[in-house]
Amino acid sequence: MKNDLETIKKEIRGLVSELAEIPVKDLRDTARFAEDLGIDSMKALEIVAAVEKKYRVIVPEEEIPTIRSLQQMFVLIEKLLNK
Amino acid sequence: MPEEWDFKRIQSILPQRYPFLFIDKVLHADAIKKKATCLKNVTINDYFFEGHFPENPVMPGALILEAMAQAGIVLYAVIKPEIAAKHPDYYLGKVEVKFLNPVRAGDQLIIEAQGVKIFDNAGIINAKAKVGEKIAAEAQIVFGVKARHG
Repeated sequence: MKNDLETIKKEIRGLVSELAEIPVKDLRDTARFAEDLGIDSMKALEIVAAVEKKYRVIVPEEEIPTIRSLQQMFVLIEKLLNK
Repeated sequence: MPEEWDFKRIQSILPQRYPFLFIDKVLHADAIKKKATCLKNVTINDYFFEGHFPENPVMPGALILEAMAQAGIVLYAVIKPEIAAKHPDYYLGKVEVKFLNPVRAGDQLIIEAQGVKIFDNAGIINAKAKVGEKIAAEAQIVFGVKARHG
């Protein structure tokens, strides 16, 4: 399970890096999407849609404001995958 | 029950006006199915044919894309009616589009917008513009929605 989670984290970092056009090396897990990385609402939505498609999960709209960093996204995806 | 929209209702939602309004009628707009189907009658009197092109009047691809984006606003408005009623600004964010067949004077352009993900402040739609069964263009459009200031 630990390996799975590490793989998922790596994949999500890759997705965010590609969609937000930020090199993986610059993506700290605790960096805030909007304030530190300049990810706007449209890019955030693209990231959510890409994650939903990849892992076949639905991210509820009310959860979106709580995802403010990669770290928080990992927690949410792990929770959704374990449902 | 989805219902047709006439131009008055369209103009109550879409901020665009002549010469930049490319939806004549909304045939269906369904919040549950997240789908809007709109119509644009393309006529030789459309102003853009004067220059695009005098000898070969085809509707500019950029304007077909604009029509698809406007269908996206219609879809957003049925899914988020309270926000749309406040006349926010709509922004194009990112577009992936393929132009497959020309649209000519006399064609009836049917524009379908299917919601992929629609949130309060942004949305993703897949759109198709068709003439009969022929697909003229298809696109994925990411747009933003912001309350108007001032």
